[in-house]
Amino acid sequence: MSMNLTRSAQRFLTGNLTLEDALPTRMPVYVSSVAYLFGVTALSAIGVLVVTGVTMSVFGPEWYHGGEAPGSGVGRFVNAIHFWSVQLLFFALIAHVATKYAMAAWRDGRWKTWMVGALALGVAIFSALTGFLAQTNWDSQWIAVQAKDALNAVGIGAFFNTMNTGQVLTLHVVALPLLLGLLVGVHLFFIRRDGPVKPIDARPQDEQSN
Amino acid sequence: MSNRTEEYLKDIPMKPYDLLREGLIVLGLATVVVVILAAVFRSPDYPTVRGEDVANLEPIAFLQTSADILAGNHGVQDYGPPYTSDSENAQSLLGVAPANWFGATIPVDPTEDLVLRPLQRVAILNSDVANALQEYQAASPDEQQTWVTAYLDALDEATETNGEVSIPPGDYGPVPTMMNGMLALGRAGLLEGALDSGSGLPYSLDNTKSLLFFQDDVDAAVAETLDMKGDQWGVSNETGRFPGAWWLWPYAFLYQIPPMSSSPNADLQAIAIAFAAFLLLLLLPFIPIIRWLPRHLGIHRLIWRDWYRRSENVRPKADGPRGSINA
Repeated sequence: MSMNLTRSAQRFLTGNLTLEDALPTRMPVYVSSVAYLFGVTALSAIGVLVVTGVTMSVFGPEWYHGGEAPGSGVGRFVNAIHFWSVQLLFFALIAHVATKYAMAAWRDGRWKTWMVGALALGVAIFSALTGFLAQTNWDSQWIAVQAKDALNAVGIGAFFNTMNTGQVLTLHVVALPLLLGLLVGVHLFFIRRDGPVKPIDARPQDEQSN
Repeated sequence: MSNRTEEYLKDIPMKPYDLLREGLIVLGLATVVVVILAAVFRSPDYPTVRGEDVANLEPIAFLQTSADILAGNHGVQDYGPPYTSDSENAQSLLGVAPANWFGATIPVDPTEDLVLRPLQRVAILNSDVANALQEYQAASPDEQQTWVTAYLDALDEATETNGEVSIPPGDYGPVPTMMNGMLALGRAGLLEGALDSGSGLPYSLDNTKSLLFFQDDVDAAVAETLDMKGDQWGVSNETGRFPGAWWLWPYAFLYQIPPMSSSPNADLQAIAIAFAAFLLLLLLPFIPIIRWLPRHLGIHRLIWRDWYRRSENVRPKADGPRGSINA
């Protein structure tokens, strides 16, 4: 008899991620610090980036450069929101990594969460590079001819050409967001499945509760 | 809650929580912050350096760029992979040159692709340029080099009046006519089109050749005025007073220190160090000392100060309760 994939998926989800895990209504009392907000801030920045990015992809580069096209003033503004969201994203990500390091958040089997998060940070940095390259302004022009040397030196230049605007744009608006979304999804799955790591040297409950 | 979470948190008191409410509040605040920043500061959009602008505003620089490329002095002339097949100039580290592994996947012959081929298009429209090009291509390589070198020297003493460039008299062969053809191509706003049209696609999105054209001197001069060169931490800077890719500061820093600051293999060295640092970050949960350091730094005591304060108010059960965690 063949394996029932749907039943296996049900078992996996009920064993690893119940509805209370995915959308918790209770949280350990030690989750009480601004340090826990940097991750959700990064997620929020990604949300704004997706909305503004999709909006810009609908109307095209002339629109968000603020040229002669109708509504270009709005396009330039949407572009500015996208730009500042990137700044917010990296501020939140760096703060997130720093606080999670200070909390040694990889303890109790959470090393997978840490590693997937690190990979997502790497993809975010590369995605930001393609964003700078896709602007079709001076930044793109200069960064394209500068960044090519580093990528060529390690052999990546054979496959990724910073001066190929078409490749840069499709990477930035499709391939890299999908990859980043996948990694962030897996990162969140581990976070919600395992719950927040206990404080370092946390005493057991019988010493804590009243 | 799953069995796994139940088991892990069985000793821990819980409090009411609303994930979606918290997420929506943070999303709302983040949106307000970036909208305000966008409204107040806008975003950088410094215009590109175009052939038309350089030809009209800096015609001598345009002619020098074109003649330099014709003389074989372009930065990718002997670059190696992925542009040229010669491998001796590829960056290497400990004898390993990854650039050479895949060969010339984006072939570029600067003299041919960036000057002679665009001139063939001008030649269709201008018989003087057609004759000059024919004369140049019929000459020996030594003769070609002599003309171009003499012309480049003459450009050092060139003067410009109302857009007209004058050079001292000399034997430059057909080179001045050819270079004036390039200048006309630039002034007509057709340089980029002529450079990028050779990809075989009618709607090419590949700007490799037009971006390479000005990369050496013109782009570098513009970048210097904007503090964007490599020795100015350029990789992490942005035009104007906007923040750039400041998260690349550690990477940009590598280019400021030996051996990267003066090495022909600086990019490969910097990338190797950055990759090693990333591996360190990735594998941090398994690296002794670094993984133990947070316990001794004590920052976690600040983050979980409420928890530890409660802990201090509670005595182990064996000694009887000393206080409440809710106190």
